Amino acid sequence: MRSLLILLCVFSLAALSGCKPSEVASTTPVDGATNKKNTLAFMPKSKGNAYFVSCRQGADAAAKELGIELIFDGPTQPDPAKQNEIIENWITLGVDVIAVACENKDGISTALRKARSKGVKIVTYDSDANPDARDFFVNQATPEGIGYALMDEAARLCGNSGEFAIITASLTAQNMIEWQKHIEARRLAKYPDMKKVALRPCDDLKDKAQAEATILLSAYPNLKLLMNICSPAVLGAAEAVKQAGKSGQVKVIDLGLPNENKRYVKDGTTDTVILWKTVDLGYLTVQAATALAKGQLKSGATHFKGGHLGEFKIVGDNILLGEPFKFTKDNIDQFDF
Amino acid sequence: MLAVFAPNFFEPQPLLSRLASAAPKLVLACGVALVIIVRQIDISIGSLFAVCGTTAGLAAAAHWPLPMALLLSVGAGILGGSINGLLVAKLRLPSIVVTLATMVTLREGLRLKQQGVFINLPEGTQWFGLPMILGQFTLCGIAIGLLLIMAILLKHFSAGRFIYAVGSDEEAARLAGIRPRLVTFLVFVTMGALTGIAALLNLVQSPQVDPNSGRGLELEAIAAVVVGGVAVSGGRGRLWGVFLGLLLLVCTSPALTYIGVKPYWEKVIQGAVILLAVVADGLRTKKSK
Amino acid sequence: MKPQQLTRIWPQHETVLLLFIIVEMSYFSLFGRRFCTVDNFTNIVRHSLEIGLLALVMTPIILTAGIDLSVGSTLGLCAVLFGKLWRDAGLEPWLAGICTVGIGGLCGGCNALLIAQMKLPPLIVTLATFSLFRGLAEAITQGVDAFTGFPASFLFLGSGQLGQLPIQAWILGAAAIGVWLLVHRTTFGRSFRAIGFAPEGALYAGLPVRRQLALAYVLAGLVAGLTSLTYTARLGTAKADAGTGYELFAITAVVLGGTRIFGGAGSVHGTLLGVTTLAVLNNGLSRLPNLMNIASELSGIVTGALLLLTLTASALPHWLKARQK
Repeated sequence: MRSLLILLCVFSLAALSGCKPSEVASTTPVDGATNKKNTLAFMPKSKGNAYFVSCRQGADAAAKELGIELIFDGPTQPDPAKQNEIIENWITLGVDVIAVACENKDGISTALRKARSKGVKIVTYDSDANPDARDFFVNQATPEGIGYALMDEAARLCGNSGEFAIITASLTAQNMIEWQKHIEARRLAKYPDMKKVALRPCDDLKDKAQAEATILLSAYPNLKLLMNICSPAVLGAAEAVKQAGKSGQVKVIDLGLPNENKRYVKDGTTDTVILWKTVDLGYLTVQAATALAKGQLKSGATHFKGGHLGEFKIVGDNILLGEPFKFTKDNIDQFDF
Repeated sequence: MLAVFAPNFFEPQPLLSRLASAAPKLVLACGVALVIIVRQIDISIGSLFAVCGTTAGLAAAAHWPLPMALLLSVGAGILGGSINGLLVAKLRLPSIVVTLATMVTLREGLRLKQQGVFINLPEGTQWFGLPMILGQFTLCGIAIGLLLIMAILLKHFSAGRFIYAVGSDEEAARLAGIRPRLVTFLVFVTMGALTGIAALLNLVQSPQVDPNSGRGLELEAIAAVVVGGVAVSGGRGRLWGVFLGLLLLVCTSPALTYIGVKPYWEKVIQGAVILLAVVADGLRTKKSK
Repeated sequence: MKPQQLTRIWPQHETVLLLFIIVEMSYFSLFGRRFCTVDNFTNIVRHSLEIGLLALVMTPIILTAGIDLSVGSTLGLCAVLFGKLWRDAGLEPWLAGICTVGIGGLCGGCNALLIAQMKLPPLIVTLATFSLFRGLAEAITQGVDAFTGFPASFLFLGSGQLGQLPIQAWILGAAAIGVWLLVHRTTFGRSFRAIGFAPEGALYAGLPVRRQLALAYVLAGLVAGLTSLTYTARLGTAKADAGTGYELFAITAVVLGGTRIFGGAGSVHGTLLGVTTLAVLNNGLSRLPNLMNIASELSGIVTGALLLLTLTASALPHWLKARQK
């Protein structure tokens, strides 16, 4: 009996809260206030990831310059369902524009289309959604560009032939799957003598990457190069190569942040770190998103002035940040992020 | 069998590196074995591991003397363990829920504080400042040493008997003059201290600390303990079994790489290994009855 | 006041939780940005369906003093197989859906066989299948393959509305009533608690312990299969990582709802309250100005604290009583 009463209570409560809101929504005074100050919601693939922390630096700086409100939130683990939930929450929160790095292209597009239909502007950065689900993509590098750059660099270091292995974050991480596809395509087309002998996941953990790399080095004694495509893997793999005493003999190339990698690049373990300027990526994304919300950036534009960074080219609906950057022993000290 | 398929598997230097990287897991597994023998469980160790590592890392990066930083890590572990222990032993809350709560709280708290940014350790921290090979031997030595000490304590000293007694029947243990709650509390504190030590053993293996480390470690440790024949119903199990269980699990994944199995099958095989071990154990105990 | 009196007037766990939900809702309505809107409540319901369903079927399992860590992985495996059946085998979505639920049941059946028939500990069995099922999902798709482009009739399951309410509300409501009736209004359900309370006693009392245990796990598998459908429909895509970590959310909700983790006591409406508390918390925290940037981390921390708090609160009178003895 008692339990039934409680159930009844819950339902009446739900009903109560269900009918109250319609009036609240229409007359809330908050609306007026937010209209003056644009609200931008900025989502990383996951929180607690140094890569996105440095994107956020740029985003914060731009938000401050432009005087807009910036919300920074995302899943604590890369989880496509959670990304969708946060987007849907932001729609009802009444944000003006959403900038998002997509974990799962198709998954997030469902929520983004819904947001667009409600008049929210969408900018994607880092990794794109389906083209019909967003207004612009701030393109730091296409998967093709990244894949080709990595493969070309690998082939150059190995002299166009030899065995190499890839360490990735997880077997299901979408952007890394895309990169691998292009790495493979490039290998087939241009470097048939290069051989990919293994692919290992490291769960985005440095310690596991180190263990995996140690194993790879001994399991494949002819290995000439380790390619690390997620940032924690980079450090683990470099450390493993160093400990195995194979610095220089086994090349290491990475996608990762320069600050973390300085130590290994300088002592010669890691040859090349490929990345774009992440702080600029965050900055440009916020600039573009704000311009979009204010109606200053319209589809069909060919140029965009991104604050203190100057002009950027727009191709189709992609705002191009520029080519991926190669950090090597000679230039890595000039960067701090 | 492995030796045939993959001769490289037993190359000395990589093998030593692998053993060194398994050392922290062994220390954790020993602790978890104690916890499970006393009929509790602790799933917060992965998070606590990261907290200990990060604390020590921050201290070392702030140029504290190395021994201080190391002590700090163990201290943080003991603190975390006592919180779990107090809640479980004093308030009598179920350990799986308590540690589930501390697991999320610690992990998210750490994420707030550190945001996933790696900590660079100063020179001389790695391998405790020893040459690499010596350092790796030291790590393995510490882990095996702890295992031996605990195994002897468990078997030949009254403290160990108390743990088995409380695990198999708390009420009987109480009537026999043991204080079950105190034993439970101390087991959790030991678990915390061991987590701190494990974090250290992990920390010194590379020049950076990953604040996300330890994710999923609790499941690995529990699996090793159970595969090693410790009964989840408490009161039964030996540490050398845990050692073998861990050895089996940490060898599975590298073995697959050596024979060149695609990584897509790895989780399937790991699950199957655990399952087989439990089924075998189940059949064995059934027969002995 | 004597502890005996205290126990009597001390509110039941469910009541404490209900009060907390009311406090929580009022707080968020006052301070949260646009918390109290129809759209937002629709969101809360839509987002809590998957965890809600899993928590509902986790309740009978925990009542029998068991646990199922494999539900999240079962969800992932089912989602992938659903995609396979629909796209590669060319089945109609509804037929593929039925098969998927069946596959979920099969997964649950594996657990049931090992736990009920072979009497192995549920924690370990489901820890193994947790890894096994997720591994199968990854192996089948090689991690890479993702299924998308489902027909609108299927996507309706994820984003449609029936009457005034989102479709999720109907599914959750139906499942809640179903499981509530099963657990609280049938002899069947009562036996779950008996088994959790004293397994030997239940056996001697003539209860079909094995069959009951098996039923609880198979039910969890079936519902995990169903959940994979709603998950896929809501996201519009199925991939091997679907539902990662959901088992812990479900267990948290059940325990928060007052079901004893050692079995024998607990209720389905308690679980529902637990799910509601967590869903409202997650949603509300992301609407508090100043805290928006740390909402995700904060909701983890608050959940942990809440778990300890409610458990301590409901254990307090017993503790005092025991102490006085």
